[in-house]
This record gives sequence, C-alpha cells and structure tokens, in this order.
Amino acid sequence: MKSLHTEILIAKHLKNSVFKNTAVFIITLFIGIILLYAAFSGWENYSNQNETSEKYQHESREDWLKNPDKNPHRMAHYGNFAFRKSTPLSVFEFGMEPFFGNAIFLEAHKQNTANFSEAGFSNSMLRFGEISIAMVLQILLPLLIFFLGFNAVAAEREDGTLKLLLSQGISWKQLLRGKILGIAGVIMILFVPTIIVLVLIWLLLQNFSISGDETIKILLFILFHFVYLIFFCIIAVLVSASSKTSKKALISLIGIWLVFTIILPRTTQAIGAYIFEAPSKIQFQSDIEKDILKQGDSHNPNDLHYKAIKDSLLSVYKVDSVQKLPFNYSGFIMTEGEKISSRIYNQHLEKLLQVYEKQNSFSKTVSFLNPYIAIKNVSMGLSNTDYDSYIDFQKQAEDYRYNMAQKMNGLQVKYISNKKPGPNDKPLTINKEHWADVAEFHYEPKGILEVLKSEIVSVISIILWIIMLFVLIRIAAKNLKAI
Amino acid sequence: MLALLFKNFIRSKGTKIGLVFLLVICFISLLIGQQFQQKQQNNIKEAALYQKEHIARNAAFHKDEMGLLLYYIKFSLVNATLPVNSLAIGQRDVNPSIQSVTIRGLEGQKYDSELNNPNNLLSGNIDFSFVLIYLFPLLIVAFSYNLVSEEKESGTWKIVATQSQNTFLYILKLFYIRILSLIALLTIVLFIAILFLKIPLNQSLFTFYGLGILYILFWFAISFFIVSLQKNSNFNAVILLTIWLFLIIILPAVINTYIVNKFPIPEALELTVKQRNAYHEKWDMDKKITMDKFYNHYPQFKTYPLPDKEFRWLWYYAMQQAGDDDSAKQSQELEHKLQQRNKASQFIAQFIPTLHTQLQLNEIAQSDLGNQLLFLKETKQFHEKMRLYFYPKIFDNADVSKENWSKFQVETFHDPSEISFAKAFLPLLFFNLLLIGFGWRNFNRRVI
Repeated sequence: MKSLHTEILIAKHLKNSVFKNTAVFIITLFIGIILLYAAFSGWENYSNQNETSEKYQHESREDWLKNPDKNPHRMAHYGNFAFRKSTPLSVFEFGMEPFFGNAIFLEAHKQNTANFSEAGFSNSMLRFGEISIAMVLQILLPLLIFFLGFNAVAAEREDGTLKLLLSQGISWKQLLRGKILGIAGVIMILFVPTIIVLVLIWLLLQNFSISGDETIKILLFILFHFVYLIFFCIIAVLVSASSKTSKKALISLIGIWLVFTIILPRTTQAIGAYIFEAPSKIQFQSDIEKDILKQGDSHNPNDLHYKAIKDSLLSVYKVDSVQKLPFNYSGFIMTEGEKISSRIYNQHLEKLLQVYEKQNSFSKTVSFLNPYIAIKNVSMGLSNTDYDSYIDFQKQAEDYRYNMAQKMNGLQVKYISNKKPGPNDKPLTINKEHWADVAEFHYEPKGILEVLKSEIVSVISIILWIIMLFVLIRIAAKNLKAI
Repeated sequence: MLALLFKNFIRSKGTKIGLVFLLVICFISLLIGQQFQQKQQNNIKEAALYQKEHIARNAAFHKDEMGLLLYYIKFSLVNATLPVNSLAIGQRDVNPSIQSVTIRGLEGQKYDSELNNPNNLLSGNIDFSFVLIYLFPLLIVAFSYNLVSEEKESGTWKIVATQSQNTFLYILKLFYIRILSLIALLTIVLFIAILFLKIPLNQSLFTFYGLGILYILFWFAISFFIVSLQKNSNFNAVILLTIWLFLIIILPAVINTYIVNKFPIPEALELTVKQRNAYHEKWDMDKKITMDKFYNHYPQFKTYPLPDKEFRWLWYYAMQQAGDDDSAKQSQELEHKLQQRNKASQFIAQFIPTLHTQLQLNEIAQSDLGNQLLFLKETKQFHEKMRLYFYPKIFDNADVSKENWSKFQVETFHDPSEISFAKAFLPLLFFNLLLIGFGWRNFNRRVI
C-alpha cells in the first residue's frame, strides 16, 4: 500500500483554509452548542419520562396487589397498566417516540388504545421536528459538510489553481481523496466529541452496568452515523469536482440536501398513506363488533353459539341446569368469550397493520435512493423508537392482557361457587393472595438481531451506497477535466 | 421596463421549473386535504349509523334493566371540521374528532386516542400549510438570492447602473415581479381550493389568505435585507438557507423541547392510575361512604335512598361518579398544564414568524391544541348532560321500551372561537416592516 502522503497534505491545506473563514467557525461553534443542548434536553426528557412511567408502573402494581379478597372478575376489570419505557439510546434518537401512546389500560373484554402521546399534548410545534443528537448528525451535519465542501474543487478550478495542482503530478484520485479526507477531518472535530459525550451519557444512564445487546446497538449507532457522514463528504467533493463554478456546486448540493432530508421523507410517506387508506378507529371497532356478533354474543341470552356450548356442557355432565355444573359456568363462558373476541380483534389488527406496512413500504423502498431515510430507519431501530418496536410493545401488552383476563377467568371457574348469591348475600370472593399470581408487566425491547432483521432494507441500502460512492470516485477520477 | 423584467424572469429555466414544481406540490396538498376531508365526513356518517344500530341492538337485549343498558351504550360527540381544515390539518390527525362515551366514569374514556400509523405522524402531512410554510420560502430564496449579486459577478451590473436613473427603483422592480408571481400562485391555488374543497368565502378564508400573503412578504423582506448587504451570491445562498433552517427546523424544535421539559405532564399517568383506584376501591367500601359523596354532588338525588340490597345500579353509578369526582384534581391539573403549554407556545410563537404562521393557520382551521382543549371540555359537558338525563331513569328503573331511543343522535360541537385579525397579522407585519426598513437603510447607505 502506498503512502497517503499527498492526500494528507491536501487535507491539511483544506482544513487550514476552512478555519480561516470566520463564518464556518461560527456555524461549527453553533452546531456544537446545539449538540450540547440536544444531549442535555434529551437526557432530561428521557429521565422525566422514564421516572414517571416507572413510578406509576410500580404504584399501579402495588395497588393491584393491595386489593382485598374479591371476585376474580372484579380484578379482571380492575386491570393493569402497560406504561412504555424507553431504551438508553432513545436519549439520542427520539424517532417516533413522541407519537407513541405511553399508557395502555389492560382489562378484560376490551383492547384499549395506547393513550397520552407527547404529540397529543403538543401544539403543532412538534410537527416541525425535534432536536436530538441524531437529528443534528443526520440533518445538520450533512448541510455543514456541503457548506464546507462546495468549493473544495470548484473554487480551485475558478481560480486556476486546479491546473497547477494537476500539472505538479497529483492525480485526480489523490486530489479527490485528499479533499474528502480534509472535510471529514473538519467534521470529526464535531463528531468525535459528540460521540464521547454520547457514550458517557449512555454509560451514566445505565450506571455503568451495560448489557452486550445495548453495547452492540450503540457501536452500530456510531458506526452507521460515521459512514453516513463520510457519504456526504464524498458527495460534496464529487459534486464540487464536476461543477463548472462553485455557485453551481453550492446550488446543486443544497438541492440534494433539501430533497434528501426534507422533501423525499415527507412525500414518500404521504404518498403511501394516500394510496393505502387506513380505516378510522370507529370503522375498525364497529367491524370488530360486527364480526364478534356473527361468532356469538356472550351477552345475548338467546345466542346460538353460546346455547350450543351450554347444551353440550349439560349433556356431558348429565345435569339439567347450569347451576348444577361442578364448576363456575359464567367463568367458563367468559373464557370462551375472551378467546373469541381477542382472536377476532387480533385478526382485524393484523389487517390494519398490513395496511400500515404497505403505507411504510414506499419510504422503505426509497431508502435505496435516499441515505437519509436509510440511516433514520436504522438509528430508530437501534434505539427501539421505530414503528416495529412500537407494534411490538402493543403486542406484548395485549398478550399480557389476554393472559391476565384468562387467569382471572380460570380462578373464577375453579374457585367461585356456581350458585348465584341471593340479593342480600355477600358477594363471592377468593383470597387476595391469588393476585400475585399475575406477574408484573415487563416490556422487553427487541434485541439487536430482530432490529437488524426488521431494518434489513435500510442496512443493505447503506452498504450499497458505500459501494456506489467508491465506484463513483473511480469513475470520476478517470473522467474529470481540469477546466 | 417592468414587462421586460418580467419576461426575463419568467423565461429562465430555473424559474419555470420552480414554479411548476411548487404548483404540482400545491395540487398534491389539495388532494391530500380532500382525502382527509372525506375521511372526516365518512367518520361522522359512520358514527351516526353505528350509534343508531348500537343503541337499537342493546335496547332490544337489555329491555328490562335501564342500568345495564346504559352500562353498554355509547353516545358520540363530533368536533365539527371546517372545510378550511383541509388546508391546515394541524393536530386533527393526532387527536380524534369524534368522542364516543358511555355515561360511566369519563376520565377513563376522555383521552382515548385515534388509531394511527406513527410513521405517518412522524413524517407529517403534506397539507397546504406545509407547502406554504416550508416550500414557498425555498422558492423565494431561490428567486432572489442572486439579485444584484449575480449581475455584479457577471459584470452586467455596471450597464444597468449607467442606464437606469434610479438603481434602487430597479431593485424594487425586480422584487415586485417576484412577489407578484408568488402571490399570484398563492391566489390561484386558493381559488382552486375554494372550488375543489368547497371552502366558503368567509372570514376564516380571508384571514388564511391574508396570513399567506404576509408570510410570503416576510420571506421576501428577509431576502431584500440580505440582498441589501451586497455580498456575493454564494454568501447570500448560504445565509438565506441558514435562516430558513433556523426559522423552520432549529428554532421550533428548540422551543418545543423547551416547552416539553418546562411543562412535563406526569399528571396524565397519575390521573389514569388514580381514576382506576377511585372507582374500584368503592366496591370494597361501606356503601354509605360512596352514597354520601354522591348525594353531596347531586343533592337532587337524595330522594333515592341508600340501597338495601347487595347490588343496586344507583350504587354502581355512584361508584363510577366517585371515580371521576375523586380524580377531579388530577384532571384539572392536567388540563391546566395543557393550557399552560398552549399559552407558552403561542406567546413564544409571536416572535418567530414561521411558528406564528403555522399556529395561526391551525387556529383558523380549528385544528390546534386550543380547539382540542375546548372539545375535551365540551365532551365533559356532553357527558354530564347524558348522565343527568339518565340517572333518574336508571334509579327508577324506567321502562326501556318507553324511551324514544331514536332521538339520541350524534351531536356536534362547533368551536365558537373568534378570529382576531390583530393577533394574526400584527407580528408578521412588524417583522416585515422591520426588515424592509433595515434593507432600505442599507441600500441608501451604500452606493449600489
């Protein structure tokens, strides 16, 4: 391998001339301040949110356990809560978090919505976007790179120094590499301290006891962002090298930036949502209700489905009324009802999620054209703030709800007498020690392998982008002209 | 002269591409607005139909027990959507425009969210307000960043300077043409929107139009000021884009983070935990405690005595009521916090024209947080009205079949908020005058 001496010399030269420009100095300083602000406000927000959700998760659990002896069906209605907790990396990448509901009430018979999202509590301000480390790295730094790099080659061409350089035996390849190295060097002045702060905060948040899974996630987070920034350095230099004037280079680069970070992400998602229209809540719920009624309505005394169950039970146990059955009949019916309604609910949910997937498929595909969408998807996945993580949270909550409701039904079938108490009798109860049988809700964020699996399109597109840019450097080095 | 300048402007390839691009996106935004409008209308129809069927079915099942029937049936309240809402969807995609509630405890139902794909919410709508606020400025910047500077760089400025008597007037004419063409674009799009989305010609629309014009002028005023500094084209482009970035992305995001951290809302979770306990604990308490609370709240129901049996609907609804009453403090605190957030963001927005315009457009379209808070308040009143109507019927166990159920139609809430011209226009007007004033001074000070 031959030494990169020339490249380093060019890079150093670029770096020196960049910092002679006070405007660049000010912008760099400013982005540094924004980075710090993003780090600390993200930290504050994260601790607020997690403290609150942990506090009430804990409190609601205590409340659950404190319940006195009662009918298990009362407990099934007392219900539990699933409060969403964030992962440490979400301090740096908020992703879709502000739009996620933070609390789901889990009770028998009913799948409640995830409520209290940050977006619902916000004036439209949130819709302008949020300031996080990831946003600075993904949106602001590429623009800074373009501002630094637009005249990297084009200005030399305008000044006529380009011819001098090339005639002194420096090859195009060396020149391009050197310029890319130079811009990357300037960006690293921001990137490296950011990463150090990021890792420190990340360690502090976990009290220095880190899991292997989280470590791989943060390493990949850093690696992908590093690669992403290098892309933009390469794009900047290539565009600058192929533009006649620095003004043309600047305008093209600004155009690229706008299309990548502002216009494409919004339009592709909007097109997806426009073409694949999702049902509204009222439609969704009334469809479910209709299907459940078709299957059988446990509240309707004349319902055929439940009448058949009753008749078969009576014949198996050879009794003439449900009161004579050796177990609690209404508990048995509720078990059946819960099974049917949650199966139907899940079928409809699956259909709804398929519509959402189709809506998202547009922007996922566009990540092949747009590295911004690719990195955004990957970093949201790594910080468990992407779409799949949210659906995963909702599914875990629903599984918990179903098991809790069926557990309570089971207790009722087993322990509650089948004889209905008279109007003045005390209600039938079971011992409160049963409440502890239902474990506390615990959300397990998706591990690294699942994350990579669900964001595989973006990972592949990033790899393709790297390959393509290296190929482009080669092609450019062969075809570029000095004038 | 003006005609020639206009021809020169419109003939350029960049101008044409820019204008056509913007026009196409405007049309897309109208289509998206139309889809949203239709969806809202369908929802309302669906809700009306659903309510009718749902009540009829349940009334047939539970014809002997008024209390049990009212346990199930839901009544819907619609937050009326103005036609102009299709131009500024605002928070209407996040917040549900229909609330369906039973007369049981309200606090557990009030905050139920809309079904949404979070990906759509994250990327945001391409409604017309987005096009106006994000993309119009970009075109304005593209049209004006190189005025004067380009001619200086190419050397034609000297010819202009020697041939026209007043170069400042010449610069004004250059701006005048560009301003007119963008305002014409805005007018055309809004005109099409009026026909296409059936937006009535009323105060809301005129304020919307006025804000649009002032906002366009604001960006021209910024460009005018930057051009007046007479730097080179590259500098202008970088500085104008940086200003755009600041006003549209960085400042709103910083302020949003500030407000979120300044007014955190732990009350939401506290409320939801509290209302659950407040209702459920009453099952295990002496009935007298619950009933006394209930009689205290509604002295008119004291005539219904303390239940003698183990279960009475009177007691059941008194427990439900207690869930709301005992968590009223948390509920108020939550509402107060949300008001504070709304006020703080509106106050700060006055100093940031982009934010101000967005919030005002949403306010006009009744799709802002303020509207949502009013809707929640109205939901509470609606719920209370239903409660008070049905309580005596439940406690008397009135005959279900005697009730005329068809009269319970979906009700609609109309936001009565008035539009204030001063509040909408003054901040923008102020910034416009300030920037033009400074620009003027710069031009006069320096020899052009």
